[in-house]
Amino acid sequence: MKIESRERDGAVVVALVGEVDLQHSPTVRKHLMDLMFERRPVVVDMGSVEYIDSSGIASLVEAYQAARKNGTRFVLAAVSQPAMRVLQLARLDKVFALADTVEAGLSA
Amino acid sequence: MRVEERPQHLPAALADDLDLIAEMTADFARSLDIEETLRLGLAHISSRMEAEAASIFLMEPGTGDLVCRACWGPSDVTGLRLPKGQGIVWRAVNRNATELVRDTTDDPDFAHQIDNNTGFITRSILCAPMAVRDERLGAIELFNKKGGGSFDADDRRVLQALAASAALALINARQAADMAEQKALKHELSLAADIQRAMLPPERPPEFPIHGINLPARGVSGDFFDVVELTNGKIAFAVADVSGKGMNAAMLMSKTASLFRCLAKRLDGPGAVLAAIDSELAETSSAGMFVTMIAGILDPATGTVVLANAGHEPPLLCCGASLTRIDEGMPPLGIVPDLFALGCPESAIELNGGALYLFTDGLTEAGSTDSMLGSDGVARMLAPHRIRPAPDRLRAVVAQVDEAGLALKDDLTMLVVEDMRNQPALNRQYQARPASLTLIRHDLGQILHQLGISGPVIPDIVLAVDEACQNVIRHAYGGGEGEMIVQVRGDHDHVDVRLIDFAPTIDPASVCPRDLNDVRPGGLGTHFIREVMDDVEFLAPPPGTGNLLRMGKRIGGHENRKP
Repeated sequence: MKIESRERDGAVVVALVGEVDLQHSPTVRKHLMDLMFERRPVVVDMGSVEYIDSSGIASLVEAYQAARKNGTRFVLAAVSQPAMRVLQLARLDKVFALADTVEAGLSA
Repeated sequence: MRVEERPQHLPAALADDLDLIAEMTADFARSLDIEETLRLGLAHISSRMEAEAASIFLMEPGTGDLVCRACWGPSDVTGLRLPKGQGIVWRAVNRNATELVRDTTDDPDFAHQIDNNTGFITRSILCAPMAVRDERLGAIELFNKKGGGSFDADDRRVLQALAASAALALINARQAADMAEQKALKHELSLAADIQRAMLPPERPPEFPIHGINLPARGVSGDFFDVVELTNGKIAFAVADVSGKGMNAAMLMSKTASLFRCLAKRLDGPGAVLAAIDSELAETSSAGMFVTMIAGILDPATGTVVLANAGHEPPLLCCGASLTRIDEGMPPLGIVPDLFALGCPESAIELNGGALYLFTDGLTEAGSTDSMLGSDGVARMLAPHRIRPAPDRLRAVVAQVDEAGLALKDDLTMLVVEDMRNQPALNRQYQARPASLTLIRHDLGQILHQLGISGPVIPDIVLAVDEACQNVIRHAYGGGEGEMIVQVRGDHDHVDVRLIDFAPTIDPASVCPRDLNDVRPGGLGTHFIREVMDDVEFLAPPPGTGNLLRMGKRIGGHENRKP
């Protein structure tokens, strides 16, 4: 999998591309937590997530909790169908701030 | 090298001699071609030692004759051959002592014939043998001191020193050449081993009914196995062991393997194949060499095996708890022509859901001589690994034999023929590590599709199994090394996934899903498994394993079936 990070409109858009599984979720977690440490607003572009497991979801949960504590923005945008299915299974689709597109996530 | 300064207290003549020895020794040490150096050095030695002529004789390997390899002076005797015992040279070599002949007319061993042939008149001779320890290499011979005198005791000491240093250089050069030759031989052996490996059948997916493994004791093997798919859906197979070890066994093995490959597709039945190979081998094989071989044909549709055995270790049929040795058979192949003229008897075996193991004595006779395994031992070695998919099972058994990486005494080959009729659609072993998960998801997705399932239930099942595998990796093995087996049975209506590991058995009660109202990282995996699958239970782990988790899923709804 790949993590592509870019600055946009004062926020960081983090695109997760491919399969976020046990092998790769530690990298995702570190990447997101570093941004949380810098108190950066983050939009996670999940349009190209082909697969995500509980460890990947856990990384998102941890970042989400840190953002809440910081009072910064943390939005999951353009969530792909396979990722949405897993969020629903975890009943987290009601917890995370979701946006249909990255643009919508940035202006939320 | 040149010694520039002469120590004041040495007499001039001795200093000259030391110079000569030092120069020649340095030349020898530098030289890559000692004979060439000797040839070039001979002129130098002769002029410094004031000889009218000189020759170098080297002992010819094979004949043991002394042959003149270099010479300096008015007549050329290069190539002159001195059979054992002739002349002063041989005397020096035999006594391994420097010979000083002040006047040849006084010496009965002097070979006048050579002077008669060349016209050179030999008055005096100084001959020093070249030898290292007990190995005689040849001699350096000087003729006639210039000015009419004779060689003296000083000359003798100098030539002796030169000869000793030349001998060492010769031996070193020969050893270097031997090493280069050995290296080349080793390279050729590894090429031969490559070709042999290429003759083995390709590794097939674990769900294929026949698998083999071959471990040569040296680079090349005297064992082989082959698996050939026939056009009628049946599968022909063979295991053979050529008598002896090394290159000749390897070559006979290659021949037998080629014959089998060719005949298995053309002849009707393993008996006919063995009889044909026997008549070919008996006609052409070299004395004292023979081949023990089992050939067979499996009908995967019925689980029936037809076997023919020519002098090979009896195969072992493992069916549930019962073990049967299949003892019938003929003598080995290639011993006497016409032994198989009346054909080779065949026996029919029903696998009944079990497996037939064929092996060479590299397996049964492994270990020290007092602990030969025998077929009971093979059964004992198999027992803890029977749950593993066939290729992994063979590797596990062989690893046990080859424990601690000890060199095998004999080539080792093992083949398993299984009744796959009631076997799982997927039965694979994976390393319990995160990097395996991509492959597991891929294999699982593919097999679910093959079972006739489609739609969103596939990613759901894949997620549940992935999560269960993660639990094995993270919790059962706790991050340590290990393996896990994924088995999938079912059809378009129902899927049964079993996950087996070899970790310490865990208490099922300790595995519980988390409370979803508590939003926190971790603990979601077990929830996903229970959410997706209809029934999830730990079953009694099979012998040799740690845990067995069964996960069942009913495939309801039209959207999950392929049209």
